[in-house]
Formats: sequence, structure tokens, C-alpha cells
Amino acid sequence: MRPLLCALLAATACRRPPPAPRASGEKTIGVVTDVGGRGDQSFNDGALRGLEGWACGLAYGASGYRPLSEPERLAGVPADVIERAGAAGLPRVAGLRPYVLQARASEDYRPDLELLVSRHVALALGVGFMLEDAVAAEARAQPEQRFLLIDSPILDAAGRPVTLPNVESLTFREQEGSYLVGALAGLATRSGKVAFVGGMQVPLIQRFEAGFRAGLAATNPAAAAAAIVQYTGSFDDSSAGKRVAQALYAGGVDVAYQAAGADGLGVIEAAKEAGRFVVGVDSDQSQLAPASVLTSMIKHVDYAVYLAARDAAAGRFSPGNRELGLAEGGVGLAPIRIDFPGKAAALEKLAALRAAIIAGQISVPSRPEPLAAAPR
Amino acid sequence: MSELTTLVVSILAFAPPVALAALGGVLSERAGVVNLGLEGIMRFGAFFGAWAALASQSAWVGLSAGALAGGAAGALLAALAIFAEADQIVAGVALNLLALGLVTFLLEWALGAAGGITDPVPALPSLSLGGLGRLPWVAAAAMLLLPALASLLLAKTPLGLRWRAVGENPRAVAAAGVSVRGLRFFAVTASGVAAGLGGALLPLAVLGRFEDRMPAGQGFIALAAVVFGKWSPLGALGAAVFFAGAEALQIEISSSGGALAALVPRGLFLALPYLLTLLALAGFVGRAVPPAADGVPWDPEAR
Repeated sequence: MRPLLCALLAATACRRPPPAPRASGEKTIGVVTDVGGRGDQSFNDGALRGLEGWACGLAYGASGYRPLSEPERLAGVPADVIERAGAAGLPRVAGLRPYVLQARASEDYRPDLELLVSRHVALALGVGFMLEDAVAAEARAQPEQRFLLIDSPILDAAGRPVTLPNVESLTFREQEGSYLVGALAGLATRSGKVAFVGGMQVPLIQRFEAGFRAGLAATNPAAAAAAIVQYTGSFDDSSAGKRVAQALYAGGVDVAYQAAGADGLGVIEAAKEAGRFVVGVDSDQSQLAPASVLTSMIKHVDYAVYLAARDAAAGRFSPGNRELGLAEGGVGLAPIRIDFPGKAAALEKLAALRAAIIAGQISVPSRPEPLAAAPR
Repeated sequence: MSELTTLVVSILAFAPPVALAALGGVLSERAGVVNLGLEGIMRFGAFFGAWAALASQSAWVGLSAGALAGGAAGALLAALAIFAEADQIVAGVALNLLALGLVTFLLEWALGAAGGITDPVPALPSLSLGGLGRLPWVAAAAMLLLPALASLLLAKTPLGLRWRAVGENPRAVAAAGVSVRGLRFFAVTASGVAAGLGGALLPLAVLGRFEDRMPAGQGFIALAAVVFGKWSPLGALGAAVFFAGAEALQIEISSSGGALAALVPRGLFLALPYLLTLLALAGFVGRAVPPAADGVPWDPEAR
């Protein structure tokens, strides 16, 4: 079985060895994706876009890398990233090359990282909290190698964040973007019934829930009191997501916010069939149901990885964890393309709330209060 | 809309893939071959169903292709387990792994699908229920009809008698001059057709696209339904309906926000199919006895 799978994987070119280093002074940034792999339209794609596309100016295709023209490279960079990047913009980083390994099973994480170390990459990138264990172990074994971990700090045995001298980690304040989603849902709902659909009930997803409910309470306290919170219990089952969402929409919900991985695809399909609103997550999911996806809460993994690659090219490295929120351009909302009554006023309100969060006037909770405590 | 309607719609919309895969499990195990490859067969059915539907722009072509692909996967399992006399459990697991890798590869290579998800596929006819969404009635009809037909086939026809006999006492069947291996091959292939059909419903009647993580464990739920349904076609249907009903009920309860929502932990409902299967196996829900020759390879030389 194993050889067959390996042959298949080889055929998808994920194990293609990197070309030999050319000019001296060229630095390689190594990436190990999590099992979602290239094409997940989420975390992995975001990280690869930041590194391959924005930093290196390359596009990956069936025949390997192809250089991008400058307009191509900057096409599709979201407006809030451009705003955040300022006048300097997103220049191509000279002398960088990507080397990407796609892990197909969690047992691959450590060997893939070892391969990056043996290739003497300037920075070894682990994409996704699932690589936390592997990055921590490999970083301890290879103190000379610099690592970057996306979406989780390094944790000790008791689950507390620790700092390793050769690991930088980036996490996102998802609650801040989710706060804006909640505020928008409170302004866009007409039935006064809104819902949150999470995947597994884990702290990461609860940050989405906490921010969403806080934002909802800011613009529509009545809807916040009656808000429905559901967890599907998985991240891979689109049927489960649709099953939950279909029941919610049947019960009169007209805006749902999903943070449920593949289950969320089912939530979006249910919204499409019921003709109601849904808010996507991680990347702009508008194309899945243009008439139903109100907006998406985007994590700008691409921008974070771009900045890290730029730092690595310049030899800069700052160990420890960094949190990226609205102020740092780490999270944001996708363009709201759907019209609804009072949209102009809602957009103004959202801009004001965003400014208040960036200015520190609003502090967004990262843990939901127990549902029982919510007034009914 | 009343809660009861929501519940019934939810069952009719989401139970069919599991019910048909469970029917496949019954067809195979009643002939004496354990089909652990249901998950993989569903995955083949889902992928080839979506691919054919996209290529032909017809959901019916897709559905047929899903059944065919499932049948082919079933035949492969049968060839391994019956003619090559491979361990049935290992062959089933191997089929699941093959489906996992091969479908991911084909999705990228043949469809070039970005994000592990295809474009929208043509959907099977469905009934609009307003706020309740759409009810894919073709899937619901297949779920209700096919187990009934299979039940008649097994109980009332000469073929059905042999089918059951080959799972209970293959020696007697061989003595009567019927090919045990031939009959089992046919049964496992039919099992694949049913499970492939169930898998094809995932893109064609549930999500409207193929998504790389399908069927996300529904094949294993179907295995549980086979045991909980006591290896009978209607029993497996009942089990699948029960599992879907429990799931829908849990959603209703936790959406209503009443005291019950705080009382019943979500995880309990997620574990329900497996818990009930354990209970069934332990004899708490009446006796659950598999066919006597289930999982035993046919060896004409054995005494």
C-alpha cells in the first residue's frame, strides 16, 4: 500500500527535490504545509501566496515555478493589506527561493522538517497548529536552525506557551475580525436571529465565537441574547455542516457565521439553498455562493509570511510569539459585495468599530462566556 | 415550520448516503465477506459521480458513474478477498487507503480542482421547501426503495436463498453445485454498487460539489448501521434513519437553547452510532448475530 501511495504522491510532484542552489547569497525559505496541502484555499495557500507569490514573485503550476510580472504579482492583494503595507507597498524580495514540502500525514511533519534542515534553509516554516509538536521537537534538536510556526505558539508539556531561542511563532487575534463579523450580522439581520457554527469546540474556534458574540452585542443586543451557537464536532464533514445549517435556517436564522473548515462548505451550501446570509472564514469564500456569502473573516497568513520572508532575507529574526490582529493587518473582512438595507450606515459603523479596536478603545474577549450566563 | 417537519426533512436529506452504504455492507456480509472498504467505495462513488456529472452536465450520468465506480471498487475488493484469498479486513482497509490517495491525486490531476473542491455539479432533482432548503427526493426515494427490494430479493427469491446460504454455510451451497466464489464475487460487487450510489449522493444531492474530504467517516457509520441493523437490509435502513434522526434531534435541542441543551453534551450524540453498536454487539438491544460464515474465506479443500 505504502509504495503505491508514495508513487501517487511522487506523481503529484510534492516530493520533487529542489533545484541545486545557484548564485551564492541566495536564501531558501523552506515550507512544510499541513495535511490540507497546496490548494486548500486557506492557511496553506495563504502562506504559499505570501512566500512564493508576493515575496519571490513566482507562480506554481504543473511544470514548476514560473516568474510573475509585477502587475500579476500584486493582483488580488486585498485592499486592507495594501493600506497596512503603506507607501512602501509589497516589494519583491530579492535573492529568495521557496522550497515547499506537502505533508500528507501527520507522521510526515518531523521528517519533512528534518529535510528542510538538511537543505540548510534560511528559515523553516511550519504552516498550521498541527505542526507545533514537530517544530518544537526539531527546533530543540537543531538549535542552529531558525523556524517559523504559523497559528500556534510553542507549548510546553502542560500546554503553556514557551519561547525557544530559534523559533518565531505567529498567531492571530481571530476574535477581532470575528467582532466585526458579529457587528455586521447584527446590522444585517432582519429576523433578529443569527447563529455561529463552529467545527470542533476547541480554544481556537472559541475565539471566533467570543469575538462574534461580543460584536453582535455591540450592534444588536437583542439578537446577541438570542444568538444560537452550534458546533458540528468536525472539520472534514461538509454533510454535518449542511445538516446543522439547514436546521438553523429553517428555524428562522438569516445570518450565520461559520468557522468550521470543510463543514463550513456545507453551511454555505445550505445558505445558498435557503437564500439566507452566511459569513465565510480564513479566505474570501464569496465565489462559493456569491448571492449568500455576505463577507469572510480573513486571516492574512499571506501578509504575515511575506513579512517573515522579508525579515529572513535581511537576516532579521525575533524569537517568541507575535499576535497579529486588526492593527497589525493580521485579520480583516473581505469586501462586502452584497447589498442589504442600511448597508452604507453599516459600513460606516464597521469602520468606526475597527478604528476603535485598533486604537485600543474596545477590548475584544478571546473566550466566550458560558452560554448559560447569557440572558434569554 | 414545525420542529417535526424539520426533523423529517433532515432525515430524508442526510440519511440516504449512509443508508445505501449500509445496504452495501449487508449485501456483502450476508454472502460471507466482510466489507470494511465501504468508506473507500463511497469515496470512489462520490468522486467519479461528480466527475461524470461535470463532464456530461447530467446528474443522472453522474449517479450511474458513481454506482459503476462503486461496483468496480467492490469487484476489486472481491478479487482480493475471494480469489486472492487476502485477509478480508486488510483488503478492506487497503481499499480505503487506495481511495484516499488515488482520489486526491485524480482530483488534482484530472480536474485541477483548486482548494480540494470542484465546481458546482449538476444536482439531482429536488423539491424546494422554502426556508427549509431543498429536499433531494431522488436520494430519499432510493433510500426507501432499494433496501425494500433487497429485502425481497434475499427473503423471497432462489438467488436470495443461495445468497444467504453462502454466508451461513458455503459447504452446503458448494454441495448443491453452486459456485461459492462466483456468488460471493457477485454479492461484493453488488455491495460496491450500493455503496458507490450512496457516495455519489454526497456531491449530487448534498453538497452540490465534490470535496476532497468526502465521505468523512460516513462509510464507518454505515458499518455501524450494518451491525446495529442486525445484518438485514431494512434493519440497516432503520439504523441509518435512527442515526440521522438522533443527529437532527440534537441540533434541534441545542438550537432551542432550553435546559436540555445544557444537560446533554454534544459529544454524546456524536458518539451515539458507535455506542449503540457496542451495545448491540454486547446483546443489550436483542441479539446481534452475524452470518455464520461472515469473514471466513472459502476454501474448497478445508474440512
